[in-house]
Amino acid sequence: MRACQILLLGLILSLSFTVTQARTLTYAMYGDIKDWDPAIAFSLEVLMLANVYEPLLWYNPNAQEGQFTPALATEWTVSDDGLRWTFQLRDGVRFHDGTPFTAEAAKASLDRTRAMKQGAWYIWESVQTIEAPAPLELVITTKTPQPIDLIASSQYGSYIYSPTAAAKGSEWFNRGNAVGTGPYEVRQWSQNQQVVLEANEHYWRGWDANQYDRVILRVVTENATQVQMLLSGEADFISLVPADIVKRVNAEEGLSAYAVPSWKNSQFLINTQKYPTDNKQFRQALTHLWDYETVVNQVYDGYASVAVGPIPKTMWGHNNDLGTVAFDPLRAAELLQASGVPKSDWKVSMAYIGTDEAYKNAALLFQAHAAQIGLEVELLPGEWGVIWNRAKNLNTAPNLQSMTWWPTYPTPSDWLIGMFRTEQNTLFNLSHYTNPEYDRLVTKGAALEGVDREAAIENYKQAQRILTEDAVAIFYADIQSRIARASKVGGVTENPAYNAVFFYDLYEQ
Amino acid sequence: MKIYLIQRLAQMLVILLGVLMLTFVLSRILPGSPVEMMLGHRPSPEQIEAVRTELGLDKPIAMQFMVYLKGLAQGDLGTSLHTGQPVTSDLFNRFGATFELTTIALLLVVVMGIPLGVVSAVRQNTLSDHLVRSGSIAGMALPVFLIAMLLQMLFYGQLGWFPLQGRINAEIALDYPFAQRTGLYLVDTLLAGQWPAFKSAVLHLVLPVFTLVMASIAVVTRITRNTMVEVLQQDHIRTLQAYGVSRRRIYYRYALKATLIPLLTVIGLAYGYMLGGSVVVEFIFDWPGMGGYAVGGITRNDFPAVMGVTLLLAVIYLSMNLVIDLLYHLVDPRLELP
Repeated sequence: MRACQILLLGLILSLSFTVTQARTLTYAMYGDIKDWDPAIAFSLEVLMLANVYEPLLWYNPNAQEGQFTPALATEWTVSDDGLRWTFQLRDGVRFHDGTPFTAEAAKASLDRTRAMKQGAWYIWESVQTIEAPAPLELVITTKTPQPIDLIASSQYGSYIYSPTAAAKGSEWFNRGNAVGTGPYEVRQWSQNQQVVLEANEHYWRGWDANQYDRVILRVVTENATQVQMLLSGEADFISLVPADIVKRVNAEEGLSAYAVPSWKNSQFLINTQKYPTDNKQFRQALTHLWDYETVVNQVYDGYASVAVGPIPKTMWGHNNDLGTVAFDPLRAAELLQASGVPKSDWKVSMAYIGTDEAYKNAALLFQAHAAQIGLEVELLPGEWGVIWNRAKNLNTAPNLQSMTWWPTYPTPSDWLIGMFRTEQNTLFNLSHYTNPEYDRLVTKGAALEGVDREAAIENYKQAQRILTEDAVAIFYADIQSRIARASKVGGVTENPAYNAVFFYDLYEQ
Repeated sequence: MKIYLIQRLAQMLVILLGVLMLTFVLSRILPGSPVEMMLGHRPSPEQIEAVRTELGLDKPIAMQFMVYLKGLAQGDLGTSLHTGQPVTSDLFNRFGATFELTTIALLLVVVMGIPLGVVSAVRQNTLSDHLVRSGSIAGMALPVFLIAMLLQMLFYGQLGWFPLQGRINAEIALDYPFAQRTGLYLVDTLLAGQWPAFKSAVLHLVLPVFTLVMASIAVVTRITRNTMVEVLQQDHIRTLQAYGVSRRRIYYRYALKATLIPLLTVIGLAYGYMLGGSVVVEFIFDWPGMGGYAVGGITRNDFPAVMGVTLLLAVIYLSMNLVIDLLYHLVDPRLELP
């Protein structure tokens, strides 16, 4: 046994490691790329997409600098009726495969994405035609007024890819191929192990000496392992950062961990058609039974803030005048009494994703507070596919349904229309809310987004007020994401519109 | 012999069909649908409907099963809903990783476990016996994830000798590329003549292999020891001693033979079990093998993947059983094939 060990150790020690000289950044991601086709990708792929491809415009969260950063489009205008968008495209750009980027290529890309009707294609649903009247001019005409500038900056479904590559089809993409105009090219993909990106030498913005010429996206599913890799210096960036290790990481020289705002928020949707939550006062009572501060501070370890209405605070169009709802069990008891629902019926069901600790703990807390004033809460944890299907059908729907939301492209209408506008066949309006006045406001707002954003915001603000007054949900947390990285990595930018890190911005300090 | 083999193979087919049918029905009657998960962020009802039709989920289960069998007959296991890759190629990729890991672990278990068992039996109730017994039992009693993490902390965190996770260093794989001919990195890197890539693959194997060895060596040492202890008390051993045959020769030449039958059984089953994917080990070391694939498939309702894994596992188990039965006959010709 001993001899074996010594032999083995000797063997191992004799194996020396060779290290390559390229400036390399290693990023630990918790899942592999699933759909490589940019027309289909609709999940964890943003990290790869946003570094390999470019849309016409990037959304810029820093409003003072203008809402967009030009990417493949340099200038854009919209006709007065809001139906015709003209984009001037960047000259001299080439795809990774050498194909020149032109209006024809952009048109071919977007037309393919629309025609495939997969992933996030629906953001283009109202588009009538896309034309390329000149080599560097792209004209998008819509059936109804739409904010094409915002849509063009979507984190899914908006990327422009090489027509030569697209001709090879989804299967070709799914073998780990990607051909965009972005700063990085995909050099290698080992399924479920890693994606290796390398700098695109011909990138139109050029390169500086300290930028990274190689980025390794390593699949590391376990958060403890990610932390170990960061501590040892093997990873420069990790994506799964447990709240309780933030201090530990910050105590370490050369590492830092911190929270960044996201547009992800969590709520419990209250069923407005199911007894007893079809009663408005009863619903209002529920919103006062939620201990907002404790949930944010304890359940989320402080990495969230109490929500004000349905729209996250850092999203444009957010109505901050609504204020937070107070945790006030006495007020809740009064409202329950006033609702006229007999005390024997003070009973609600609450469904959430069972594997999610945050939901679970928040729900338990809610259940405990409710019990104190004589309201019984039945907890129904389950798998998302299952609870979602139940919630869609009024007969099987619970009174309260967990929902964490984030937008496909940067617009408040994603929440307001996606979750609360009347639906013929219920999909995400799991409050089963229907209010003609509200529907009118958000539909109007969406139509105004492209032509008069201020007017759109006015509509949205009123709509948000209606939602809080009608108590259609317990809006409780704007979630922050946590990142941890080596401090030597400089230039980290935060952009909640993209679930990604922009590697081009980074440099070694 | 020939007739026996044909009989066994026919039996296997029937069992496989049963397993497939059971898995197929079970996976489809459980609540939850794979489609929503497959489509990502926020699919529209039309997309969901389109995919359901495409996957044939709108047809009766019996008909879906027939379609599946038809594909299977042509070697088509369908496409994984999660990875978007053909299940056969997924399985090929994954199986290679698991096969490499578990085969090496098993070899070490045998090579180390049997001598330890012999030592333990021969020096019954001495210090070395106690050490071997308690050591191997401890390995078995400790949860695998704990062993794995302790090894990681010591050999990666403190000493920095071995890599933490994965099968190969990304940059080395990039600079010394090798074609995946067999799916076994040790073999593929050697075939390609990429020495640094081979070294990296070896280093990446050490910790997961050792975890598996520690977790399963007890079975082999215990069986060896107990059988040996019994055998050593038998008359023929005493006779051999009386004839003055050397101890070493008695232990390894005569007594050990008697342990082979029970050992074969245990090793065969353990191997089949390990090949099914040492889920925990694979998870902790991000080893892209069968275990992770099976778990991922189950949690995401990825029907084709689950079916593919089940089929492969059933084939492995059944073949393993057959091989063991044949080996019995080889080891001890007195045991006749039925």
